[in-house]
Amino acid sequence: MNTQPGKIRWLIGVAMIGTALTLGLGGLSISAKETWQMGDYENGEHADRPRTAFEQDAVYIEECGACHLAYPPGLLPAESWRAMMAGLEDHFGENAELDQETASHISSYLDRQALQKGKPSPMSKMLRNLAGKPPLRITELPYFIHEHDEIPKRMVTENPDVGSLSQCDRCHKEAARGSFDEDRVFIPGFGRWDD
Amino acid sequence: MRLRIDMPDLMSSVFVLMMSVSLASATEVSDALLREYQQAAAKPFSANNGEILWRQDLNGRSCTSCHSDSVKAPGRHKRTGKVIEPMSPTENVLRLTDSKKIEKWFLRNCKWTFGRECTVQEKGDILLWLSQQ
Repeated sequence: MNTQPGKIRWLIGVAMIGTALTLGLGGLSISAKETWQMGDYENGEHADRPRTAFEQDAVYIEECGACHLAYPPGLLPAESWRAMMAGLEDHFGENAELDQETASHISSYLDRQALQKGKPSPMSKMLRNLAGKPPLRITELPYFIHEHDEIPKRMVTENPDVGSLSQCDRCHKEAARGSFDEDRVFIPGFGRWDD
Repeated sequence: MRLRIDMPDLMSSVFVLMMSVSLASATEVSDALLREYQQAAAKPFSANNGEILWRQDLNGRSCTSCHSDSVKAPGRHKRTGKVIEPMSPTENVLRLTDSKKIEKWFLRNCKWTFGRECTVQEKGDILLWLSQQ
């Protein structure tokens, strides 16, 4: 009489343990992917895998990434991000206003992850030659300008597949991960960049 | 007392659980929002007026500037060129499934397109039209 429910409970138990294991292992493999160290590429068998080391934020990616690449926050100093977050109603001519809760979540994420003097980051070079008030645009950082000054217009602004230097990910395929390795640049319609 | 588990009952509970965690459908969300808008609007909503508003051009700006001429096709952000998935809920099941998101984009995009916030009447007309696409 009691064998049937017992058997069912045993089956449910097995199913629950199975599910827990599957979810657990899935979780492990996800976290393993997200904790690669940032910087250069790994050697050997994972040479094609870029490392991602900055904290990713789902709200930031959803809200800012809706209109453009969710620029890695380590590309600009906190002062720039703060000024940007204070003027979202006129965000380079576009309305990008956010509700208070979302805005403060994103602000604190940007503050934590911003480009910072003395903080080791593969993007720390972005601070080079930066004096005075930092710009709002990544493309106006002196180091950025210096790094891109040899690229002819026909490859960028006159290239319909690129359009502007703000479109990092058109040529730096791993831009979202914060990887801007010069050896990996691929300009649509032109191919590898070799200076 | 022994716990007795009835298989059909268990299966129906699992089914109900699965249904409740699945995405709310576009119709449910937009219908609820339309009912809410209607309480503050003077006239019943008109899908036809919604389409007229959607296609209305004001100083070179229109909903179609970024969403393309067809709501069943992808669009492109006018400024950044980023691909925007189709607005039609039949083409894109994720559309109109989140009322907070609908409100956010109405606020931003009415300001961009018309230079002001949309009225409840306008939002209702547009939402009704979009929900039928």
